[in-house]
Amino acid sequence: MVPVEWYLLLAAAVFCIGLFGILTRSNALLFLMSVELMLNAANINLVAFSAYWGNVTGQTFGLFTMALAAAEVAVGIGIILVLYRNFDDVDVTLAKGMRR
Amino acid sequence: MVGAFDYAPAIVLLPFLSFVLSLTAGKYLPKGGAFGGIAATAGSLILSAWVFLTVSAGNAYNETLYTWAAGVGEGTTTLTFGLLLDPLAAMMLLIVSLVALLVHVFSLGYMNDEGETGLPRYYAGLGLFTASMLGFVVADNLLMAFMFFELVGLCSYLLIGFWFREEGPPSAAKKAFLVTRFGDYFFLVGVVGVFATFGTAKFAGEAAFPVIAEEALAGGAEVTTFGFAPETWFTILGLLILGGVIGKSAQFPLHTWLPDAMEGPTPVSALIHAATMVAAGVYLVARMYGFYALSPTALGIVALVGGFTALFAATMGVVKRDIKQVLAYSTISQYGYMMLGLGAGGYVAATFHLLTHAFFKALLFLGAGAVIIAMHHDEDMWNMGGLKNRMPVTYYTFLSGSLALAGIVPFAGFWSKDEVLYEALIHGLAGSPLLLAGYAMGLVAVFFTGFYTFRMVFLTFHGEPRTETARNPHGVRWNVKGPLVVLGVLAATVGVVNMVPLHDLTGGFPPEYLHDWLAHGELSALTSEHYGELLHDYAGYTSADVASYVAGAVSLALALAGVLTAHVLYNVADPDEHTAKLGAVKTLWYNNYYQDEYQIWIAESFVLPLARLADKFDQGIVDGVVNGVSSVSLFAGNRIRRIQTGVVSNYAVLLTLGLTALLVVFGVLGGWFV
Repeated sequence: MVPVEWYLLLAAAVFCIGLFGILTRSNALLFLMSVELMLNAANINLVAFSAYWGNVTGQTFGLFTMALAAAEVAVGIGIILVLYRNFDDVDVTLAKGMRR
Repeated sequence: MVGAFDYAPAIVLLPFLSFVLSLTAGKYLPKGGAFGGIAATAGSLILSAWVFLTVSAGNAYNETLYTWAAGVGEGTTTLTFGLLLDPLAAMMLLIVSLVALLVHVFSLGYMNDEGETGLPRYYAGLGLFTASMLGFVVADNLLMAFMFFELVGLCSYLLIGFWFREEGPPSAAKKAFLVTRFGDYFFLVGVVGVFATFGTAKFAGEAAFPVIAEEALAGGAEVTTFGFAPETWFTILGLLILGGVIGKSAQFPLHTWLPDAMEGPTPVSALIHAATMVAAGVYLVARMYGFYALSPTALGIVALVGGFTALFAATMGVVKRDIKQVLAYSTISQYGYMMLGLGAGGYVAATFHLLTHAFFKALLFLGAGAVIIAMHHDEDMWNMGGLKNRMPVTYYTFLSGSLALAGIVPFAGFWSKDEVLYEALIHGLAGSPLLLAGYAMGLVAVFFTGFYTFRMVFLTFHGEPRTETARNPHGVRWNVKGPLVVLGVLAATVGVVNMVPLHDLTGGFPPEYLHDWLAHGELSALTSEHYGELLHDYAGYTSADVASYVAGAVSLALALAGVLTAHVLYNVADPDEHTAKLGAVKTLWYNNYYQDEYQIWIAESFVLPLARLADKFDQGIVDGVVNGVSSVSLFAGNRIRRIQTGVVSNYAVLLTLGLTALLVVFGVLGGWFV
């Protein structure tokens, strides 16, 4: 059996990739993908610990998180569409109107 | 209980109604609202007479009508409005409403017939004034009295400044307001002190503050005296309240506003600055006499201030050219007598002088008003002369008032002034040099009073007319003559209520009605009998044995000497300005002992720098701290808002950095790195 540390390292790596994407990219679609990566890093942790403790509750949480991610993507796509309609682009740095 | 007391609040409310009516609808009413005022004051007079009759049947009324701030729990005070109707209040109600009614009628002649503008404002002022004065008279506690005291001062301000387009009246109004307010500050501190000491400010009843004070001195009650001996502390409280009295009753050194207040319309001078508002101060001392009687020091100061003011003001009245100025100084002087009477333990005497003075001084002012109408608003006596034959009604009524003022037997002023002096004499001779000094000054002032009063009469009415206007004076109508006749008769006869010397001389006839009136009553702590005991037990006043008619004869002789001097000097066809022979003294008197100048000097050289300093402190330190706090927040906010770029990536960076920082902090504190 693979020790739980490996899973945690994998999850941390995936999370950092997602975070890096959010911090460095300005494309909204890449944003959305990075967020998905971070969410799934959390999912890996949940499932890993569930297997470690021999308890399926963690896996149930993982299923819920997936459903949540799907809903979030739907909202995110909606926002991106509006962004495109208003700025003719999907660059998040263009939308600065919230400053004032 | 008794019917009259149920209607007593209407005595105050009727003139208030007239005030509201004149203010809101005065433009549409005939005569600018005068009839509303006349009806209201007549109603008050009738109700006052009813109350008077009810009180004379031996009833009294002391009820709280409205609680506007209820104290909760131990050691708190309850603030209320209520009515106190005892013989003193009933008498004062009658005086105030009668004089107010007559002044309203007189105003028809003085204001309406002369074609003045702004009449609704005038009658509104008169109505509010009458209401507040009546409210002050019936007040059952010190705080309510203070509130109406202030309202009275406000009305005085409004009415003195009635002709606000001219230069003099607004400035006189401001002066009256500020000078009386200066005294009122002390009064206010005194009211708070009374509340802090006794927990109540009621004048009468079981838990009235004079009663508690008396018990405290007898050792029967515990009061907060802030580390002083009870006697000392009660004297301090009495003197603080006396500050308001000195301001309102125009006593030295706060008398300077009253002569200037003559800038107002003459009926206002009659109502406010002679008969009623100025009486408020003296009435207040009489109202809480049970408190003053406990403190011989406070009484001595009252007497000394009164005696000094009586003489001081009388000397200034001698040289004035303006008829209203002479009357103004006589008013100050007469209130000095009342204070002397109160301080000397002559509660009844002072109240009596208050009564007679209200009538004869209102009469004299209204008479002066009639003369001023006749002279086309010229007030200089040296432009008059010979008006006797041209306006006989005014002359004879004015003469009646003058005889009363000078204190010539049998006119009202003789009986009251004589009694005041008599009280000062007998209590002074029994071992109080302070009272004797007051008596001496009062006695000298009698001579001056006789002199200046008849100088005024002779200059105005006797001799040859000195100007064309005096030769053909403007006529006056019934609405001027009516009030004059009523008051003229009263000034001549009202002394009947208390002819002490005659009573003593004949051995009991006529009865001393006023003594009896004030000596008994349902509220036994408010009777002159009780005050007499207090004076004897606490203030240590005893009486020397002097026959009242001897003292009366002395003051009468002095008054006659004054009148005769005036007669010799001024009752000639073409009088000279004899006072010019006084030289420097005349200049001093004519300039009022430079009272105004020295008060301005005090204001400019002490108060102004102090005010500047306070302003600097306020602007620099108090405001500086506030401004500093606000500018620091403004600056910080201005800098911090720069991180709000609106770019979502930057927010993500901040979020990440914040999370990292949080983790590091937790790590360090939790010891993860060890």
